[in-house]
Amino acid sequence: MKKQISGLALALSVTSGAAMADGTLALYNWGDYINPDVLTKFTEETGIAVTLDTYSSNEEMLAKIQAGATGYDIVFPSVHMNDIMLKLGLLEKTDINQSPDFKNINPAFLRSKEDPASEYCLPYAWGTVGIFYNEDITGPITGWADFFAIPEKTGAKITLLDDMREVIAIGHIMNGTSVNSADPAEVQAAMDYVVAHKGAVSAFTYEVPPMLASGDIAAGHFFVGGNVFFAETPNIKYIIPAEGGTMYQENICVLASAPNKENAKKFMEFYLRPDIAALNVAQQYNGTPNTPANDLTPEAIKSNPNINVGAETMARLQIFEDIGAALKLYDRAWNTIRTAQ
Amino acid sequence: MALRRQSVVLGVLLAPVTLFLGIFFLLPLCIIAVFSFLTPGLYGGVEWTFYHWNYGRIFGWADGFIEIFEPVYLQILWRSLSFAALTVILTLILCYPVAFWVSRLSDRWRLVFLFLITLPFFSSLIVRLYAWLLILKPTGLLNTVLLNIGLISEPLEILYTPAAVVLGMVYVMVPFMFLPLYASVDTLDRAQIEASLDLGANRVQTFLKVVLPQTLPGIIGGAVIVFIPSVGNFVVPDVLGGAKGLMIGNLVEQQFLSSRNWPFGSALSMIIMAVVLTVLMVSVRRAKKVGGHA
Repeated sequence: MKKQISGLALALSVTSGAAMADGTLALYNWGDYINPDVLTKFTEETGIAVTLDTYSSNEEMLAKIQAGATGYDIVFPSVHMNDIMLKLGLLEKTDINQSPDFKNINPAFLRSKEDPASEYCLPYAWGTVGIFYNEDITGPITGWADFFAIPEKTGAKITLLDDMREVIAIGHIMNGTSVNSADPAEVQAAMDYVVAHKGAVSAFTYEVPPMLASGDIAAGHFFVGGNVFFAETPNIKYIIPAEGGTMYQENICVLASAPNKENAKKFMEFYLRPDIAALNVAQQYNGTPNTPANDLTPEAIKSNPNINVGAETMARLQIFEDIGAALKLYDRAWNTIRTAQ
Repeated sequence: MALRRQSVVLGVLLAPVTLFLGIFFLLPLCIIAVFSFLTPGLYGGVEWTFYHWNYGRIFGWADGFIEIFEPVYLQILWRSLSFAALTVILTLILCYPVAFWVSRLSDRWRLVFLFLITLPFFSSLIVRLYAWLLILKPTGLLNTVLLNIGLISEPLEILYTPAAVVLGMVYVMVPFMFLPLYASVDTLDRAQIEASLDLGANRVQTFLKVVLPQTLPGIIGGAVIVFIPSVGNFVVPDVLGGAKGLMIGNLVEQQFLSSRNWPFGSALSMIIMAVVLTVLMVSVRRAKKVGGHA
């Protein structure tokens, strides 16, 4: 769930080394959410030419598919959006769970409520949303309370993501309520927490890696994948907050309207291979549901407990679910947060 | 005979543009108008039942259960209108004297200047706003220069403030104000100014009675062209304002891209359109009146 500002959607064509006439495959994925080397390798091995278009939110992708966008074969919805798309009949049954390599997938990641056996979609990748901070400025920090205290203590700046549910989730976590709560009083209380701390927040933005690298902010709320920018800077660290954090998981799904369903299935099977999943992790710095792939990732990733997360940390993480009509509560809370002085 | 042929030719010439506007402008507009009175679908889209709460939550009637009236939407609209008005005023102050200066340049330099004014259109708005982000941020160009020459001792806090939003809007809108202003200043009848001064009017009187009425159509034209896109702009507040002050454009975007409430987004769009149309009609009437006097 690495968002890029909408409009900067980058269309990348991976056609190098493509053999002729073996067909095509059109991916529609989040920005920067797949290692280009994975696509190159797929093309080299199968001769299938891959095109990649990007989106910056589940809703943007859903709106486009609902509005009748055709020509895409594979999308990468978050689990709750996977459920919604299944309910709306937008996805194709693939029987990917019958593939021999499906045994590589850790069953804990079969999170879709509508597709508990993975007859439709394949768990793709997962990650955490936490805090990046410049330890030279902030000193050691452990969680959200330390994070919001940074501006007053050091005079430095902090930012939150420009994302409705991620921001309100912080309030839920601090109040001990579920990030999927549909209780108006709980959503209100979560909103109150964020509003009370808005004064400390410089901006709601996705520009965390460049601003942190240049020293314009001292800490920012961001996706684990941001680690790719800070492999060489030991003073910039990533933590999953002690009070709790959110996690995300996206699945590989084939659209009912896909023009190249066979090639799409080939891509899913390709992605079941541990070496391919590990190749993706090496560039993405996130987690994979492919158990044997975890042994093949680079040492720096394998040994970092904030990236290769243990069971204890896993218990602190919550994942977003589809909350149906209660989304309206969040919309209102978010408007209030953004207009609060 | 000749008349009929003329009308046939006219019809043929106008058909493509009529068809184009009908399909790509009028039809979408009708869809927005209809959607604004429908029930929001749970997962985006609409359900085809009449629903007036979309407007109710904005203007003060709502069932208080599923839809709740909140004054925040009108506040956001008011805030956007104020920012747009401020943008109009600032671009006008900036461009008015420059238009006079440019109109006195030699032909060659005038062309160079007009080219420079349109130069920003050659690159994407987003890219240009990110350039401003690099200039305004605490470790950015502006602060580095000011700190080095000793004018300030602490970096200025400009980025992610309303001031940065206004600065960005003025930057984006300056060419739109300048071009119509320049067109009216350039056709100003200078003999009238000389006559006014010869006949004993002082400079202030000459400006108010001769120059201002003649350039007023340009001022109104520029103001309208700047005001309309400023009201709905959501990129500048996001990039330079740090998404902290919600504008009406952001609110509409949010309804479609994260809150899955297309009808509410449509209702908000209809209200923006109504406000903009009102502004347009008032200014056209104003311009006509002025034109009549001249």
